[in-house]
Amino acid sequence: MARIGVFVCWCGSNIAGTVDVAKVAEEASKIPGVVCAVDYKYMCSDPGQNSLRKMIREQKLTGLVLAACSPHMHENTFRRAAVKEGLNPYFVEIANIREQVSWVHEDKERATQKAIDLTKMMVEKVKKDRPIEDVKVPLTKRALVIGGGIAGIQAALDTANGGVQVILVEKEPSIGGRMIQLDETFPTLDCSSCIMTPKMVEVRQHPNIKLYTYSEIEDISGYIGNFKIKIKKKTRSVLEKDCTGCGECWNACPMHKNVKSEFNADMSERTAIYVPFPQAVPLIPVLDRSACLHYKKGGKCQKCFDACGPKCIDFGLRDEIIEEEVGAIIAATGYDLMDNSLYGEYGYGKYKDVVSGLQFERLLSASGPTEGVIRRPSDGKTPQTIVFIQCVGSRDPEKGVPYCSKVCCMYTAKHAKLFAHKVRDSQSYVFYIDIRATGKGYEEFVRSAMEQDGAVYLRGRVSRIYEDNGKLIVKGADTLSGTQVEIAADMVVLATGVIPKKDSDRLARMLGISYDKYGFFTESHPKLRPTESSTAGIFLAGMAQGPRDIPESVVSGSAAASKVLGLFSKSEYEVEGTIANVNEATCVACFYCQRVCAYHAITGKEIKDRNGNIVKVVANVNPGLCTGCGACVSACFSKSIDVKGFMDDQIYAEIKSLGV
Amino acid sequence: MSNIVDEKLRKIAKDLLESGEVSLIIGYGAGSSPRRTRPVFITDAKDAHKLSFNRHSVQDLAVFLKKAEVKKFSKIGILVKGCDEKAVNVLIQEYQVSRDNIKIIGVECNGVVRQNLADKGESSVSEATVYDKCLICGEHRPLIYDYLVETDEPELKLSGALKPYTKIEELDAMDPEERNEFWRKEFEKCIKCYACRQACPLCYCSRCIVEKNTPQWIDTSIEEPGNAQWNLIRAYHLSGRCISCGECERACPVNIPLMLINEKMARDVYNMFGYKSGQDTETKPVFGVFSEGDLNDFIK
Repeated sequence: MARIGVFVCWCGSNIAGTVDVAKVAEEASKIPGVVCAVDYKYMCSDPGQNSLRKMIREQKLTGLVLAACSPHMHENTFRRAAVKEGLNPYFVEIANIREQVSWVHEDKERATQKAIDLTKMMVEKVKKDRPIEDVKVPLTKRALVIGGGIAGIQAALDTANGGVQVILVEKEPSIGGRMIQLDETFPTLDCSSCIMTPKMVEVRQHPNIKLYTYSEIEDISGYIGNFKIKIKKKTRSVLEKDCTGCGECWNACPMHKNVKSEFNADMSERTAIYVPFPQAVPLIPVLDRSACLHYKKGGKCQKCFDACGPKCIDFGLRDEIIEEEVGAIIAATGYDLMDNSLYGEYGYGKYKDVVSGLQFERLLSASGPTEGVIRRPSDGKTPQTIVFIQCVGSRDPEKGVPYCSKVCCMYTAKHAKLFAHKVRDSQSYVFYIDIRATGKGYEEFVRSAMEQDGAVYLRGRVSRIYEDNGKLIVKGADTLSGTQVEIAADMVVLATGVIPKKDSDRLARMLGISYDKYGFFTESHPKLRPTESSTAGIFLAGMAQGPRDIPESVVSGSAAASKVLGLFSKSEYEVEGTIANVNEATCVACFYCQRVCAYHAITGKEIKDRNGNIVKVVANVNPGLCTGCGACVSACFSKSIDVKGFMDDQIYAEIKSLGV
Repeated sequence: MSNIVDEKLRKIAKDLLESGEVSLIIGYGAGSSPRRTRPVFITDAKDAHKLSFNRHSVQDLAVFLKKAEVKKFSKIGILVKGCDEKAVNVLIQEYQVSRDNIKIIGVECNGVVRQNLADKGESSVSEATVYDKCLICGEHRPLIYDYLVETDEPELKLSGALKPYTKIEELDAMDPEERNEFWRKEFEKCIKCYACRQACPLCYCSRCIVEKNTPQWIDTSIEEPGNAQWNLIRAYHLSGRCISCGECERACPVNIPLMLINEKMARDVYNMFGYKSGQDTETKPVFGVFSEGDLNDFIK
């Protein structure tokens, strides 16, 4: 026979101010099966919990109903207290009389009645509770990091340093991501490659990191602790173990005029067989078959092969599919820049000297197309006047995206400073909407661009750019002085908005994680679970989640790594037992449950007789994947699937208790 | 109908059984009167001559695919009209039948005669004598088949004067109380014999929701609200699935116009989701889709 205790919490005046808590307790005590009903000022406090535990002991309670705040708050507090007294934690039910009653109602009498009703419902539910055991899932203690930019590198290194094997997959021929393309970094102006390359080399040399570059994720299946990954390792047409990275092949390649260098943001050409940049990790060239004469001209050209000492070029090599098993995944796929050509008024694509911020970055870089001397693309002259335009695409719901790309204010200030440092007596103008410089040392940095390096900041937008006599005439508004301005510039740099990496939505679907309407991966909770994805065992880092700068990307990489290490610190992963459960006797295997399951948690299971003959097929729930959302329950015609802790008979009893 | 159709059917059946491609053929055979047919189950090629198809072959034979006695046969051949074949498609779609294990012998059909009229001697196919579903039939030939036997019946001439299911528009125009009253009166007649369920090729659950008793979702007495619960829940379970073969209505001993519900549901599903049931075997069932782009306009 059920012996139920009801505990009504005042939550100070939060509940007691609107609900007559004594009356709720009094009415609850009249419900059959309730052996004690008390109210107390703070049930979650130590004395509150102690009185609850004492009551379990003295009254030999079999179930508890807490009429208190949302189960999101203290369900676990009370479950743990119950466990200490030997009860199964799932015999604790919460009637939410705070968020659902006192906080949303004013009329004390009616609010009290509602609180009584909710308490009654939970008493009926707890009567039908059955013990539920949490499910233990085995863990494969290896991690996959997708993306070898700074966030992915940081995540991989921290995870690997924690003693866990890491598989790092990078789409491009080298790791380094966007950061390695940058020249100097705000606000300290330390050279990007000087601080990045040691980390890249560390990845390469780390005994716990297995690096796959020029590789893509082909397929992901499984669940937390037990993911199966298929990696497509695109062929470089080079035998990697023999290659020394000497460079004879790319020096011999006759195709050095026709292919734009992706690394230099199309500002220079590269050969068909190439390394993207001299410090590439690994320093193994990739043969771009779409540009190579050998493939275009039916095998005639093999100059690279002839030049290669160890003869490690093999034109016949093929893509490989590699399978790996991991227990956790960190998605750090980074970002792209918006297409500037959306802004015809700025003349990108039409005028050679209108460039993107990333292109300007390459012009500043010593490893860039101009070896760090700022030369404008049209005639190679060093510009004296540059106009920088911020918020190109960002904060523009009409043509671009409504969000702020976060890094542009800072890198534009950096560009203005570096321009001033590199070109004597030069002048830069910056058109901006607002200046957002909220990081440590950021505001001072922007100030110094204006005050020490003489950048003129104009608050307003540019309406038009046109070419006149070798100059770019920039027409815009200075809204602070209320005047129209016209500047004859030698170059224009557009601070283009940040968007998620192309195809990141495809990867998100493969991973089964949610993403926003732009394609940025969304966090499980924006504040309190900022590095967890919506799917257990998959963590997020870097710009894949939204615009952020290098320090933030590094922090998020480390955060994701700490989550992985935390997960792997246990021998098994415990899943809450409130998951779907199939009645195999009545299931007819129509698999509507499988179709509506957002987590791919349902598969078929064959039921065999003792001779091994298949008697029938039924739905089967994978406890590692099921979140207990209940979509399957509503899809099942024969009511053959239930979520433990929320069984049909329990919900039915709750409704019945209201006398409807 | 002529013997040519029957001969073709018998030949197909004989070949299939003799070659071992199937071990059972479900078809029609002679009934208790010349104007009735009854289902026959043929396991021996010698019995193929029992097969026959004509304008009195009303029943949707796909209903037998859910029977345990039939499921024992691993490879089955089934004779289907265009309307009935859609049920086979849904059964394949819902993993109840494997396409590899079934040979679909499609017969072209230009309408079947209402059995109550046939029993009174009617044997002509005309607008006035066929079932409502025949008047709006879009699949005189099955959509999917392995064998097709063409009919030599004349085309069903439609004057357009008879419009089936017009009651739906009338009901739509009523206010909810009136409509409720209409259905209350209809459901009052229900005797919970479950003939609708037994006749339905898509009601294949081994334990029907009406038989679930912890909790008891549907009152099993033949009083309200149990009658409405039964009929409405059944309608929901068939919405987006029902292929409008009309067998439930035909089986109903108290003449509840169940096709009005089914047809209304089908129209709503089509209008809201652009989905028609039973058109193929590959499309995901409309209520078996998890999609982030799903319509959410029902949440106000």
